[in-house]
Amino acid sequence: MTAKIRAKAQELLESGRLSCFIGYEEGTRGRVRPAFIYAPQDVDRLIWDERCTYNLVTYLHQFQSPRRQGEKLPPVGILVKPCDSYSLNVLFQEGQIARDRVYVVGLTCKGMKVNGQTQERCQRCAERVPLVYDVVLGRVPKTVGREDYADVAGMEGLSPGERLDFWMREFDRCIRCYACRQACPACYCFECVAEQLDPRWVGIAIDVPQKQFFHVMRAYHLAGRCSGCNACEEVCPMDIPLSLLNRKIAKEVEDLFDYRAGQDAETPPPLATFEKEEELPINV
Amino acid sequence: MTTDFEPPINIKGSEAPQIVGFLCRWCSYPGADLAGTSRLTYPPFLRIIRVPCSGRVDPLFVLKAFQDGADGVMVLGCHPGDCHYVEGNYHARRRYALMHRLLEYVGVERDRLLVDWVSAAEGRRFAAVTADFTAQMKELGPWGGKRVDS
Repeated sequence: MTAKIRAKAQELLESGRLSCFIGYEEGTRGRVRPAFIYAPQDVDRLIWDERCTYNLVTYLHQFQSPRRQGEKLPPVGILVKPCDSYSLNVLFQEGQIARDRVYVVGLTCKGMKVNGQTQERCQRCAERVPLVYDVVLGRVPKTVGREDYADVAGMEGLSPGERLDFWMREFDRCIRCYACRQACPACYCFECVAEQLDPRWVGIAIDVPQKQFFHVMRAYHLAGRCSGCNACEEVCPMDIPLSLLNRKIAKEVEDLFDYRAGQDAETPPPLATFEKEEELPINV
Repeated sequence: MTTDFEPPINIKGSEAPQIVGFLCRWCSYPGADLAGTSRLTYPPFLRIIRVPCSGRVDPLFVLKAFQDGADGVMVLGCHPGDCHYVEGNYHARRRYALMHRLLEYVGVERDRLLVDWVSAAEGRRFAAVTADFTAQMKELGPWGGKRVDS
């Protein structure tokens, strides 16, 4: 696979169609890190294995504005796993990036591993081939995961008081580094509510409810947009179970509006549209 | 004029729930006004914030109200189909259907957020909705997740 990716990247960069190819390279301490390849002779840095869990779609935002005034935005190549392809669809749908500016090299995926174990989110993943790609590399694995929201249902079984205690305990650890927001491909506002000064939504006091406010705000802003790539939870230095919050919303969006984020780039997002005659359970 | 309710000044704790009401400028706020001009009485614990439309009420407003000391939040708007801005309350309806479930999930009891439709002619209904909601809040008691200094 690594050889195929390198060959493809080299071909694309040599043809001059791309200015940059985003992939993975060997990092420090046995980890993998994103690689930005600008020249064909650098493609040997690229690798692909089961540690390549990061969602590279986040880095497309850096190629959103020209480096010099009047410069035409050059197309970018990117490696995309099935889960990342949802994020890409969300960006296409929201008009953040034009389809023809991205050359998508899709990769089939058996699931990413951490400490030799298949990640939980990959066990839940039902997609083995990216939904959007220009070329797809790799064989299609037979095994498919299934999402059953078991842990979310477990949370729902608790009483409101217990849930409040649980979340306050989890949010208490938050150091407000905002890495979850930074890693999120769908969080691309130039000025985040968390850093707005007027009105100042999120205060700077060392106070759990303010942390709670940030997290619920972040989760709600991703309602119907979060595709569950879990980048936020992976980067959290305090191990706050953010997927438990994100997936609750995904579950409810699916239940209320019959919608899953990132399935295609055409369906309007549920909270940006409405139907006049719809029965929605409010207050019940 | 006699009232059925104690003035809130000396009442504390669960007897005096802090309730914030976001009322739409075209229906629910005139509805509250009508309740007043009709000399209807309702519990005095509601702090009304007038907004242009229920669609203006960002779910963050509700979240912030809870964080800053509210025990209950009401979002009242025009009946679906009657929005002054044609579609604001349709958007609000979708947002709060989701917000309700999210708030419940993070530990705000479902009853603490009320989203309802009150027209400008429904002064009596406004008083009834407010009285019911206040009674509910008294039953639930103060919310546990507020800021310490609120």
